[in-house]
Amino acid sequence: MAEAARLAAALAAALLLFAAAPAGAAPEPDRRWQQLNAEQQAILAPLEAEWDRLEPVQRVKWIGVAKRYPKMTPAGQSRVQANMKKWAKLTPEQRKQARENYRRISKVPPEKRGDLKQQWDEYQALPPRERQKPAPKRKPATTAQ
Amino acid sequence: MHETQFAYRVRQHLNQGARVDARVAARLRAAREQALAHHRAEPMAGLALASNAIARIGGARGLSLRVLLPLVVLAVAFATTYVWQQTQRAAEVEELDAQLLSSDLPLDAYLDQGFAAWLKRRASQQP
Repeated sequence: MAEAARLAAALAAALLLFAAAPAGAAPEPDRRWQQLNAEQQAILAPLEAEWDRLEPVQRVKWIGVAKRYPKMTPAGQSRVQANMKKWAKLTPEQRKQARENYRRISKVPPEKRGDLKQQWDEYQALPPRERQKPAPKRKPATTAQ
Repeated sequence: MHETQFAYRVRQHLNQGARVDARVAARLRAAREQALAHHRAEPMAGLALASNAIARIGGARGLSLRVLLPLVVLAVAFATTYVWQQTQRAAEVEELDAQLLSSDLPLDAYLDQGFAAWLKRRASQQP
């Protein structure tokens, strides 16, 4: 029975190890609209109409976003409010694409990408065919003279 | 007498050939056959009652624990790893969405098929 005791100890150790790992990043529980607290309802107000129809994974994600909300700048907070409804209406593929684009844009070093808003305005001003072509050079490539 | 010594003596006797009378030999044969029959029947019953295997833990405790416990540990480890990965992925998406939604670019910029590539091309042309 010493072996059984050893195995039981190993099982207990494994359980402890695996149970301890995700404890730090435990997700918020899923809640229906009425179960949200007043602060969460105020932050997530743009989603009220469709909240109970959202996928549980989506609701848990939004509750997580609401948790991060107080740490955002006031400007960031109002942008979240403005984007929330539209974001929730996108298809999963569109959201995936947008996240992928966000990652790609974030990878461009800030000193090289310049002011993003300005770049976006510039890009939008281009005729549709020009947008697919290589961007016009800001400075001539031959800097060595 | 010491147990090993006794076993040694028994072995010596058996090596010389056990001289027993017909009645004792018949009883020994009957006992042996009975034991063999019993020995054969048990694993077959075990196979037939495979679905009931867990109920046999009491009967074959050592073996069951040795086989079942590592399996349980493995199953628990796999399940926990899966749940942990899902949790990690959900946390990543949550953080990314929070950043994306609060960023100073409008959503359309991230939904556009060409903007990210255009921006990247343009950045690569910078000195």
